[in-house]
Amino acid sequence: MEKKKRREWIRSYVWSAPSLLLIGLMVVFPILYTFYISLTNMNVYHWFDFTLVGLDNYIRALFVFDSGFLSALLATILWTAVSMALQLVIAFVLANLLNIQKLRLRKLYKTILMFPWAMPGYVGILLWKTGMFNTQFGLLNQWLERLGFAAVRWLSSDVSAFLCCTVVNLWLALPFMIMIMDGALQSIDRSYYESATLDGAGAFARAKYITIPAMRPIIAPAVIITVFTTFKQFDVVYLLTQQAGAKTGSGFHTILTYAYENAFITNNYGYSSAISMIIFALLLLFSAKFQLREDA
Amino acid sequence: MMTKRKLREGAGLTALNLFFIALCFLTLIPILYALSVSFNGSNSLLSSDFSFIPKNFTLKNYREVLFGENITVWFRNTIFLAIVTVFLSLLVAVPAAYCFSRRRFPGRKAILRCLVLLNSFPAILSMFAIYRLLRPMGLVNTRLGLILVYTGTMAVFSLWNTKGYFDTIPTEIEEAARIDGATDTQIVLKIVMPLAKPSIVTTALQVLIYVWNEYIYATTFLTGESKYTLAAGLNALQATEMTGSWPVFAAAAITVSLPVLVIFFLCQKYMTSGLTAGGVKG
Repeated sequence: MEKKKRREWIRSYVWSAPSLLLIGLMVVFPILYTFYISLTNMNVYHWFDFTLVGLDNYIRALFVFDSGFLSALLATILWTAVSMALQLVIAFVLANLLNIQKLRLRKLYKTILMFPWAMPGYVGILLWKTGMFNTQFGLLNQWLERLGFAAVRWLSSDVSAFLCCTVVNLWLALPFMIMIMDGALQSIDRSYYESATLDGAGAFARAKYITIPAMRPIIAPAVIITVFTTFKQFDVVYLLTQQAGAKTGSGFHTILTYAYENAFITNNYGYSSAISMIIFALLLLFSAKFQLREDA
Repeated sequence: MMTKRKLREGAGLTALNLFFIALCFLTLIPILYALSVSFNGSNSLLSSDFSFIPKNFTLKNYREVLFGENITVWFRNTIFLAIVTVFLSLLVAVPAAYCFSRRRFPGRKAILRCLVLLNSFPAILSMFAIYRLLRPMGLVNTRLGLILVYTGTMAVFSLWNTKGYFDTIPTEIEEAARIDGATDTQIVLKIVMPLAKPSIVTTALQVLIYVWNEYIYATTFLTGESKYTLAAGLNALQATEMTGSWPVFAAAAITVSLPVLVIFFLCQKYMTSGLTAGGVKG
């Protein structure tokens, strides 16, 4: 019996080996190597002859405010909070409107509203960049000019770039949130509303005491995933404002675009790796916290 | 009394419909604009009398996309990368997922927990490390290098997603087959795989779409436009020579999006279930 069990174990390991080996080589090992680089002064001038500098890079990132990491982190937290708040409120309202019973064309509307999610993300972002925000032939400026206003350089200052990125992110992310909330709404028993209405509860009371409490557990996992993807957002900010060769002059960074810039634009490999490790630690902390809450 | 209420209800419903029509239009504006530009023959982009219906209808831009030299090469590169990556991903993920779902062995729980944690690591952050590791091996600027990166990046997801689905398949049929003398390989190929078709299809599609949409590794690791994938090429098209080729870019963007849109709407049910089930739950 012992022997048979052991043989089964070995077979399990052999069958899982290719997948685990691949993960080990392409995911785990690069993370460890990133950690190692983060302890060195590796950059373009020190490509081979880099030396270990201990925690210098971490100290620079965390305690030197000018380094830019802390402000990028603050911007990212603000970005996540604003995006999530808008997403939750707008998706909640839209999902509720979509579920008004006499709305016949609901399916058609839902399908059309899914488009931004269904398209390749980078294509959507680039269409916004050229089609909407471009100073010459972007629609926004064409409309402004027709109304007699001067053209605006949408992506060139921090604040307006932040707002533009938020709009595009909403455009990309709302469909998922609407779909999740729509599904949650449909799972609520209609009879609750009927008896609440009989008892004289208004629309606001029904939303507060029936809809929101009933939805919360259903949408929680999706909301957590969205918080993570928003916090880890790279594509929107990078493609709209930071692209190599097409920088717009905005200094708005999420931590991911900040790490990318330090690795591939300014070539501070050691420093950028330290930032990567800090971000990883933050993400681990968050996910551990949410996991604990889910288990409990 | 009755008619008055009905009237008010009707007005409300009309307002609601108008609201949604406006919202749908608003959502589609960037796409509609690109569509209109891609079909527009005259170079009237800078004139102020813009409309969503192209004035000089032409297929010239699409012809350039479909038969232009660069884009066909990018298309071929992407298809090649996508097929190999999907095939490799499934080849390594399915047997591992089967073991993690059906067998109990020391280290199983620990590995699963690690995989959840690894999932929260954005692949972009280790890009430099990967670059530095692949360069001495001569794998930077090659398809093989990108295939390794892509399969590696999607390996955690593929394993987790298929394992999650295997867990939901009852084991009785397998036990019966085992009593009849079927081997493990036979069980996986003849019983589990057919039953797990939805999850295997979703996994394959997700990997396919990932490769189809991935641009940052492709632009960083590949030099020379002849090696580019569609995403990388499109990205280069708009970043470098935007003013001249915005109509071509618009046509390319629409063309590249079409297959993804079709896949998405055909498999919407699968895609969304995979997203919500595979995510956070340990």
